[in-house]
Amino acid sequence: MDESELHALVDGELSAQRRREVEDHLLAHKEDAALVENWRRQNAALRAAFEPVAQETPPLSLRNAAARNAAALTPPIESGAIHWGRPSSSFRPARRFDEAKGGRDRRALIAAAALLLFTMLAGAALFLAPKVVSGRGGVRPPALSQSYVERADIAYATFAGDLRPAEFDAARKTELLAALLARIGFAYAPDLSSVGLRFMGGRLTPGLLRPAALLFYETAAGERVALYFERAEAEPAALTAPKPEQGLTAVEWRGAGVAFVLIGPLSPDKMQTSAERAAYEIVAPGVGGQ
Amino acid sequence: MGQKEDVFLHLEAATPALRRYARALGVSMGTAAADDLVQTAIGRVAARLRAKELRDAEAVRLAAYQLLTALAREKLCGHPEAGFPPRRSALARGLADLPFEERAALLLVVLEGLSYDATAQVVHTPREAVVMRLMRARAALAPLDLRPSSAPHDGVRRGGAHLRVVK
Repeated sequence: MDESELHALVDGELSAQRRREVEDHLLAHKEDAALVENWRRQNAALRAAFEPVAQETPPLSLRNAAARNAAALTPPIESGAIHWGRPSSSFRPARRFDEAKGGRDRRALIAAAALLLFTMLAGAALFLAPKVVSGRGGVRPPALSQSYVERADIAYATFAGDLRPAEFDAARKTELLAALLARIGFAYAPDLSSVGLRFMGGRLTPGLLRPAALLFYETAAGERVALYFERAEAEPAALTAPKPEQGLTAVEWRGAGVAFVLIGPLSPDKMQTSAERAAYEIVAPGVGGQ
Repeated sequence: MGQKEDVFLHLEAATPALRRYARALGVSMGTAAADDLVQTAIGRVAARLRAKELRDAEAVRLAAYQLLTALAREKLCGHPEAGFPPRRSALARGLADLPFEERAALLLVVLEGLSYDATAQVVHTPREAVVMRLMRARAALAPLDLRPSSAPHDGVRRGGAHLRVVK
């Protein structure tokens, strides 16, 4: 009999049928039975020696380590992001509306958990939307017949196909940021290399109510993803589902008084992950990386 | 989101077992160092959870063992036998004398109750290699006098008299 079969018996890796056969074999072969007996003693000794460790109360540093890790870096994008995906965009508006009405408690909780990291920025982002919705009532500025996602979609369609979509390429990032800061009042080009997106550059583009930014990223396969952002202190979110162009997925979120849209041809999951990464990088650069 | 928090709960529930494994795997490194490894491993699993790479409890558990094993390997291969306390049980000494990969395979299967397949996944090696390591580890520990702890060692029973040739 092969020795590995004896080990498999000790470790419970045999089928019931094979197990009976091996046990029969042991009855007839004392030396193999002694081996098995010895290994079972080893197992018992190992478990006896180390099981007490598992019964101890873990030290403070390890108690709730998982929960702390979960709370400390809850992605800001979960606080109010809408994922305008292709597959189910028809029922997104309802969900969005529910969140705007009933989401205050949840938002407050999440804000408390994330407070250490995102103090002012998170606060501004989280309390903006509900206030605006209740304050303005049904009056909507005419300019918002379009949503940020649609705007980003048009901007993407206009520029993404270009040979050189960016006004400022990656080498002129400093100039780009200076231009964005001057015209938009907010400038950040998040590093998305951890999700496989290489920064290509960016440009100013017309937004809904004021100038907006369009930053381009590229995957190794050459697919282009764009990050659109525009200052958005006072606008209520659009309540109709925008329809990104066929084959594109858009993820929209708010933060620090800015509306962000990440739009591109990647899978919805991948887009969501990339958007979360971008939201991280913008609020807390370099934190939570791997 | 609820499902995600559940997965973090699974990670938390796995902490005692991870400590047990770390303590046995890093038997020569001491309690505090082993706990440090566990803490680092949990942090990295949490990062992978946030990146949505891990979907269910079993994936979380295996990832935790995998990261912990990698961290211990890194640490122990950098400083082999660093400050091993002279007076330890025969079992601790025997474990510490095993090559790292054999010790990891033995502990994952015996102490942590992982299947051969799960162990192979954790240590990134074919199942056959896991079985070979297990066989070598058990053969190396076989000469030790490992009575269950209910029969305590008396000082007289020691040394070569109890060495048995196994193969």
